[in-house]
Amino acid sequence: MLEALLQGLLAVLQVKAFSFMLLGILVGFWVGLLPGLGGATTLALMLPFIYNMQPVEAFAFLLGMHSVVATTGDITSVLFGVPGEATTAAIILDGYSMTKKGQAGRALGAALTSSLIGALIGAAALALAVPIVRPLVLTFGSPELFMLAVVGLAFIASLSAQGVRGMVRGFIAGGTGLYLAMVGQDPQAGVARFTFDTLYLAQGIDLVPVLVGLFAIPEIIELVVRGSSIAGTTKPGRIEGALEGVKDVFRNGWLTIRCSLIGTFVGIMPGMGGAVAQWMAYGHATQSARTPEEREGFGNGDVRGVLGPGAACNSKEGGALIPTIAFGVPGSTSMAILLGGFFLLGLVPGPEMLTTHLSVTFSMVWTIVLANVITVALCFLLLNRLARLTTLPGHLLIPVILVLVFIGSYTTNSSYADLVVTLISGAVGYLMVRAGYPRAPLVLGLVLGKIAENYLYISVARYDAAWLLRPFVLVLLAVALGVVLYPFFQLWRARNRARA
Amino acid sequence: MNWKPGLLVLALLPLSAWAQPQPYAGKTVTIIVGYKPGGGYDAMARLLARHLPKHIPGKPTVIVQNMPGGNSIIAANYLYSSAKPDGLTLGTFNRNLPIAQLTAVQGVKFDMRKFAWIGSAANETTVLTIRSDLPYKNFDELRKAKQPVVIGSTGPGANTYDFPLLLKDLLGVNLKIVSGYSSSADIMLAVERKEVDGRAGSISSLRPFVERKLVRPVVRARSHDVDPAIKDLPVDESIAPNPRAKAIMALRSAPELIARPYVMPPNTPPELLKVMREAFVAAIKDPAALAEATKAKLDLEYTPGEEAMKVLDEVLNQPKDIVAEFSKYVKFGE
Repeated sequence: MLEALLQGLLAVLQVKAFSFMLLGILVGFWVGLLPGLGGATTLALMLPFIYNMQPVEAFAFLLGMHSVVATTGDITSVLFGVPGEATTAAIILDGYSMTKKGQAGRALGAALTSSLIGALIGAAALALAVPIVRPLVLTFGSPELFMLAVVGLAFIASLSAQGVRGMVRGFIAGGTGLYLAMVGQDPQAGVARFTFDTLYLAQGIDLVPVLVGLFAIPEIIELVVRGSSIAGTTKPGRIEGALEGVKDVFRNGWLTIRCSLIGTFVGIMPGMGGAVAQWMAYGHATQSARTPEEREGFGNGDVRGVLGPGAACNSKEGGALIPTIAFGVPGSTSMAILLGGFFLLGLVPGPEMLTTHLSVTFSMVWTIVLANVITVALCFLLLNRLARLTTLPGHLLIPVILVLVFIGSYTTNSSYADLVVTLISGAVGYLMVRAGYPRAPLVLGLVLGKIAENYLYISVARYDAAWLLRPFVLVLLAVALGVVLYPFFQLWRARNRARA
Repeated sequence: MNWKPGLLVLALLPLSAWAQPQPYAGKTVTIIVGYKPGGGYDAMARLLARHLPKHIPGKPTVIVQNMPGGNSIIAANYLYSSAKPDGLTLGTFNRNLPIAQLTAVQGVKFDMRKFAWIGSAANETTVLTIRSDLPYKNFDELRKAKQPVVIGSTGPGANTYDFPLLLKDLLGVNLKIVSGYSSSADIMLAVERKEVDGRAGSISSLRPFVERKLVRPVVRARSHDVDPAIKDLPVDESIAPNPRAKAIMALRSAPELIARPYVMPPNTPPELLKVMREAFVAAIKDPAALAEATKAKLDLEYTPGEEAMKVLDEVLNQPKDIVAEFSKYVKFGE
């Protein structure tokens, strides 16, 4: 295995492969930065170019592009509050808040560093998982995947505000998200639910238009009302700010590692989708608050709310490659497209990739590592300039941001109806912010709704009630209960400390 | 005799070639795809977009535009009413749209017969496969099964669901269909996990798993170009207990001959349709295209527009009672 590891590294460092990787990084840089150019769509568009490439070169290009998208997507989210990708929305909550306090440099520094660490851990997981991946993925059947979705939904408790009222609001928002996920055709009997007889709703509500509207539009409204620059009246943190962010990541080292592991684990589970990991990591980050006051700080610019999602977002890519390579089962849309790339190159995902073609697998690991290192280095060079953008007067930036928002929403499906959805979500998001309802649970409900429903149905149809007694199901149930009760535990512990 | 006019005519003769119409020279042809990038329909369209230009006189540029939504009903509606019939727009969509039209699905605003049909770029055959380590070695043994055999599927409207459903309800095979899996690859993982016992689907997508001996095919639907691996399997229609059941199974299988349909908007001038049809024939025979298709695991095979029209006639002229019965089993979906 060590030999294959070395071979993989040497293969990536060849001139041709390396240049393709740099090209991929260049493309991915802009795709991630600009909302609307989705990483998955661009992957599909790049596929034809790899026909005549060698496998290592082709993956250097594709993965170089893909691994970078999550990192640069964070930049748009932090600086402008507009999700650059569907997978970088969670970082807006604290990242953009930090920017508003004039700490854009620090937020970006934390985001980029945690992205790098997440990517490294994800890549390491990919490398180390090779011997155990098949038994691991085969143990996780539909009941376990359902329970994992339940654990994800349990994080709504962490994403909600403090106290009973906060939790009730959080669960109302989460429930609304779940309802929205039900819209469309149900996969068991083909019945159209809540479609109001329109073609648009027949395939369900798309995540990206809702995300973009829910998060970006209330911020834009607030920016208009405030009338200042994004950074407000504070002097923006300069390059020291970025270094501060880097130090933050290492100060919270264990949290960063834990969030990376969450991301990797969620990425490994086939069918969980790409958007879930960041929210679970964010929820876990909020659990690290030691007092209720600290907990209130989340959503208002706590750096831990930046590095958690930042790490998870990148680590899940390494994790998602695992079932894709080992089984040919994609964990997300981008992976499904990458799979097409496999076939084009004549590779068959499966046991061969872990034995005969092991060096190709390892070359992918190295590509992720190198691409992320290069990108983060590049971003640090540009950080200063990027952070200065937030000191520009709001009325200069708002039109640009609005254009990005609407392009981001429209290009998902080339449909005007998506713009209507964005506007409605924007209105709903604004009302939620004013009424003190957390928006994160709504997104989590929307993302996990279909997954949870499908796996529950399969579990019951296949195993009747017996699936409830499977060992991992019980373990995950305990984890879910723990996650829901943890905020109350935090409160109780803080009260005890106050009394002492 | 004055030979000067004759010389003038001779000199000007080459110009007549110049005067011949090259309607596609310098133009851009757009292929509208009713799905997002990354899927089978999109991959096929992009493959054709790469190889069509050299076979169309005038060598136009061919690009792909994705128009997802409503399971490609939106794209079909657009091609039917909004696209200009000037020969510069083609479209491809879900092969089951004729069935959507037949069963009057909400939102359908087209008549399949009125499109200018170029043809189909592939055809498919659906098979049912079960895990190799099960004791049933062929269809007869499967029919005698006492325990229900669990078949995984993605949902109604897909052949992963419809084909076993008809086997279960019309032929009485002891199957339990569990749907909700997010992709056919997910179902194969479930087969490996022994969560489900088999899956139905097109032989082109199941072939790697059959070759790996993970699953074994036991019964198939009608086929126009039988794959040798499944040639000897029993055909569902042939075992149908009565003419009505046979008609329903035939109706489900009919669109598989036009598995990758390509059309132009209604009232496209016949000369342009002819040019496009000939370009398709040539492109699909092109060795470079075939090589690419093999690499991408896409089946490439031309079915002429006239045969497509015959299939449409068969599907859309079914008597009302058959349609009513059919709708009870097969719903149009993802």
